[in-house]
Amino acid sequence: MPNPKILVVDDDPALVRAMRLRLRANNYEVTTATDGYSAIASAQKERPALIVLDLGLPAGDGFVVLNRLQNSDNLCDVPIIVLSARDPQMNEQRALQAGAAAFFQKPADNEELLSAIRLTLSLGQGQQPAWPS
Amino acid sequence: MKRQATHVLLIEDNPGDADLVRLRLVEGEQSVRLSCVSRLEEGLAVLSNETPSLVLLDLNLPDCHGAETYRRLIEHSPNTPVVVLSGLNDEVLAVKAVHHGVQDYLVKGNFTSEHLGHAIQFAVERQALLRSLELAQKKQLEFKDQFLSHVSHELRTPLTCIHQYVTLLLDGLAGRLAPDQVDHLKTVLKSVNQLHAMIRDLLEATRAESGKMAIDPRCVTIGDLVRQTVAMMRPAADEKKIALKIELDGNLPLVHADPDRVLEVLINLVDNAIKFTPQEGTVTVKGCRVEADPGYVYISVTDTGRGVSVEAKTLIFQRMYQDPDSVDDHRSGLGLGLFISKEIVGLHQGRIWVSSEAGLGSTFTFTLPTYSLAKLLGPVVIYQDRLRPAFVLVSVQLTPLAKIQTGSWKETRRQCLETLRLCVHFDKDLVLPPVEAAGTTNTFFIVASTDLNESGVMTTRIREQLERVLDLKAKCRLTIVTTQINLPSTGTEQNLQQHVQAMADQVTGMILTTTEQDKFGSGRRPPISN
Repeated sequence: MPNPKILVVDDDPALVRAMRLRLRANNYEVTTATDGYSAIASAQKERPALIVLDLGLPAGDGFVVLNRLQNSDNLCDVPIIVLSARDPQMNEQRALQAGAAAFFQKPADNEELLSAIRLTLSLGQGQQPAWPS
Repeated sequence: MKRQATHVLLIEDNPGDADLVRLRLVEGEQSVRLSCVSRLEEGLAVLSNETPSLVLLDLNLPDCHGAETYRRLIEHSPNTPVVVLSGLNDEVLAVKAVHHGVQDYLVKGNFTSEHLGHAIQFAVERQALLRSLELAQKKQLEFKDQFLSHVSHELRTPLTCIHQYVTLLLDGLAGRLAPDQVDHLKTVLKSVNQLHAMIRDLLEATRAESGKMAIDPRCVTIGDLVRQTVAMMRPAADEKKIALKIELDGNLPLVHADPDRVLEVLINLVDNAIKFTPQEGTVTVKGCRVEADPGYVYISVTDTGRGVSVEAKTLIFQRMYQDPDSVDDHRSGLGLGLFISKEIVGLHQGRIWVSSEAGLGSTFTFTLPTYSLAKLLGPVVIYQDRLRPAFVLVSVQLTPLAKIQTGSWKETRRQCLETLRLCVHFDKDLVLPPVEAAGTTNTFFIVASTDLNESGVMTTRIREQLERVLDLKAKCRLTIVTTQINLPSTGTEQNLQQHVQAMADQVTGMILTTTEQDKFGSGRRPPISN
């Protein structure tokens, strides 16, 4: 089975590099984008299993990306974990309402973030309801 | 003198006194428009529709007397300057009035037209200055808040980068390191974590100052929070060979508190205790009840450090306080931890204090209100010194249809609670705080002042609103169950509190039965991830 592909979106290239190293070490395939526009383009092209999304992005704020992905027929199933330096008091609820699976404030604990990624990916498989309604 | 039409509202019931004021104003050639009413209620009615530049207020009115008169007026229209006209030349009363926000105090018959003119003009000016000062203060606080929010965001970005690369190196993801290098990097990581904590505290403290700190109280087992804190702080204690102990009274009641915030306070106190206790010392976290104060649980953190000096005891909870005698090694924070803790405890209506003897260690104690259903129910179920005639317990159960991610489930729960609060009568129905710990709750309870037959209106409204707001059909199954609450036969005043208590016990029993069923009754309960 191929390694799950994760799209990392952040405007800080140094951070993207570090994330790539860490995620690869944890057996994920990694693709990256550093602005909102290329994040959407990359999500269309690469079909990631999960997206780690920053909020403060050039060319399309993170919320714009979040909404675009959530409203797109073929990408709305891709889970998104928001990883942002922004204040959770103002942004966490908004991100979750917009459809994010989780919100982490930077700097996030590596283990917590990795386990959220693992969990989200495991939930993503088997979309059928647990029992018939 | 600047001549500008001033609208003065005179509240005076004595026609002679009113005429005198009018005469003085005419004499002074003031460009004043004077309107006159004779009762406080009429005055308040005028103020509800118009904004006069100033109110001249007699303190002896048919419907209100003395200090109560200006109190009510200022409460009604805090931005309108008030000048008191009194028959009494009483300096104490005058100073009291000014302290309460009255702009001036004139004694009837004792003022010339010039006096009155100045009094009016200066009162208007002073009030305007006061307002702009208040506005400026508010703006400044807002600016500080925004500024710190911005700075904190900007600081976090490079900090995240440092954190990432240091942990990459430490985790061996960029090659093997020599033991020395690992040690050095651990020092860097420790500093990064300190910096992180400072940035967080800075924002929290500003938020506390500008009243933007919020708590989300629920029903909490304090013992769990104490154990969680001790488990988290154990490594730091072990490093200094400090014994970290827990002493909890049996049968500690549940508390009504925000678990995340209380955890913050506990971690802060234990962290401080470990910092200021020498090697081989002891830090003890206790939880108990105090007979004299039955509405609260007392939580204390005792250390065997060098104690807090008498001067420091009064200052220690202030912002940016640093003990001047403390060794440099201990000064790792901004001195905001105890200030934030005090604010958090205050938001819970609790108290926090320190007791200490120099050289013998110190004890920081804080109190949290017990979760008392009777206390919450009281204002809702009692009306005009009687119990309302009928009550039902509505349980609203949300069961997710498929596995749900923690984030979106948390959001669903929040929206559900918010919607329920909008569906009930705030003065006679009560949406109970979520009963279980965060992450697993899926039943909400409402105590409603209605009988079983009429409760249908409410449950229909709840169902419609929840389905609309939460788009439930796709996500959850919604079950609403209404159960009658049995009332005691009579509710006389003497045993009213006992009746409320009995009702609370009954409701607690019903809730426990329902939540136990949630946990164990149905094998079909889907997993909720944590």
